[in-house]
Amino acid sequence: MGAVYALLGVGFSLTWGVMRVINISHAAFGLLGAFIAYTVLKRWGIDPVVTMVFTVPFLFVAACLIYRLVISPVARAKEVMVSSMIITFGLAIILENLILLVWGADPRLLTTSYTSKCFVLGSFYFQYSPLIGFAMAMVGVAAIYVFLKMTYTGKAVRAAWQQPDAAQLYGINLKRISMITFGLAVASAGAGGLGMALLYSFEPTSHNLWLVHLFLVVIVGGVGNVLGTAAAGLTLGLITGFSLAVLPYQWVNLVTFGLLMVILLIRPQGLFQSEV
Amino acid sequence: MRGSRPDSRGPMWFVVIAMLAAAVFPWFGPPVYFISFLYTVFLYMCLASAWNMIGGYAGYISFGHVAFFGIGAYAAALLMKTFDLSALGTVLSSIPAGVVAAAVAVIVGYPCLRLRGPYFAVITLCFAFVVDLAIKNLPIVGGADGLWLKAMDLPIEISRAVMFELMLVLMVVTVLVSAKISHSRFGAGLRAIKEDEEVAQTMAVNAPWLKIRAFALSAFFPGIAGGLHAYYLTYIHPDIVFDVNISILIVLMALFGGGGSWLGPVIGAAVLSLVNELLSTFVKAELARIIYGSLFIIVIIFMPNGVIEFLGRLRKASSAHHGTSETAT
Repeated sequence: MGAVYALLGVGFSLTWGVMRVINISHAAFGLLGAFIAYTVLKRWGIDPVVTMVFTVPFLFVAACLIYRLVISPVARAKEVMVSSMIITFGLAIILENLILLVWGADPRLLTTSYTSKCFVLGSFYFQYSPLIGFAMAMVGVAAIYVFLKMTYTGKAVRAAWQQPDAAQLYGINLKRISMITFGLAVASAGAGGLGMALLYSFEPTSHNLWLVHLFLVVIVGGVGNVLGTAAAGLTLGLITGFSLAVLPYQWVNLVTFGLLMVILLIRPQGLFQSEV
Repeated sequence: MRGSRPDSRGPMWFVVIAMLAAAVFPWFGPPVYFISFLYTVFLYMCLASAWNMIGGYAGYISFGHVAFFGIGAYAAALLMKTFDLSALGTVLSSIPAGVVAAAVAVIVGYPCLRLRGPYFAVITLCFAFVVDLAIKNLPIVGGADGLWLKAMDLPIEISRAVMFELMLVLMVVTVLVSAKISHSRFGAGLRAIKEDEEVAQTMAVNAPWLKIRAFALSAFFPGIAGGLHAYYLTYIHPDIVFDVNISILIVLMALFGGGGSWLGPVIGAAVLSLVNELLSTFVKAELARIIYGSLFIIVIIFMPNGVIEFLGRLRKASSAHHGTSETAT
């Protein structure tokens, strides 16, 4: 569960760190991925994990287009963060209602052949779905990490984040890099959304709750810090798991929100980063 | 805006006449629907103007303003319950409700106003969620069942008209206060904070104090509005009075009209309420909200400083080109 937050959070963290764009619609894109997987599963019986093969590229292309259309006009503005927040808020509303229009308001559950099956290891029961979600998320986070560290484009992304002006002087096309970052982030959200769908039921408004968790993960992990985000995601998974065990269900979200507020007040730059 | 002082006399009179016309409107027996609609418009004008005091002038975008509205509603409802107030008492109790909201704003604002930009936006949003969840889970304040209030024992036309007048008065007061701030040293200080907080502080602007004051004021009026609205609805539930969409709507209205001036949120609220009403009457709810979301995007991309400035620029551009203002619509 925590690992899935990490996968969702990494993309969110990237757009925030590299482009100074806070993508409120990030979780909504993840939800879209989940709903597409749901339909594919229902209609053709194809496993959700396989669906990723085309939802992820699809979301990548869609995100690049969206970047060109609505994000790049404000990317140069003085207050990118706030204007991008409002724009993507609009996007999130559009996505949520598109989903409502297409799929209706009922909560959905991805029921695969392995849902609620488990295997026994010693005295522990392991369910398959969370394990698959976990594995998927770990692979996703690792892939993004490797991409950033090893490939030329990935290095350009990091350069653009650290020193945008200097990066441009060295012949890095900032616009193209931003577009790729945005596309990549949204695509990873699609995978993350799928991971969430494997674990929980989801409905068109679920993305709001996911979003708060994203903020928590990214702010705790440090904006733009892939490994920190991953660590924070895992920690959050543990904390929610623990508070689920000791508190009544409806108080768990309160704990999450409260935690986020406290961390924002004490260390807005994140727990794993010394200075911004 | 500040530059248009000399020729704002004419529109001023127009506004006064329009307000008087609005005030007598319900007593001519129009359908209750129109009274309710105008009531909603006034409510949003009041909320957006109040939001603008911190969000527009000082540039601290709060996504959690609905919290103050909801706190006001609950405070008034609880006051009525505990003291078994009469109709007049309930209406008056919206004022202490506003004070409660402002007090909460001071407590919350003191730490939160140190955060800037997106961090402030996120923490205010979080605050609204926390209050919502807390009230839902506390049985003393009705929990997830909500609270019932005694209705006014008047026919619906009369009681609606009374609420209409009250909201009108509150809206006018809020807008006047907002305009007063806009033209005062206080407003100038807030604008300086928006431009550059560090510079403002070196210029002897006491930024933390100004921000707290603006935040408290901008919570006070929504608190009162919430108190009145609770009585208007006669039933309050966290999902209704802490609806995040209200927060977002307020922000959008203020930004749509233009956050820099006092007039912006008023116009934004009027236009967007009308658009919302038309959309929800004529198209499916989901489609209406999709169009609404697109509006967010269009406003930010094409009119980053609001519709007032946008129109002003259009007029200037067209009069520079043709010497006429024919295309200024």
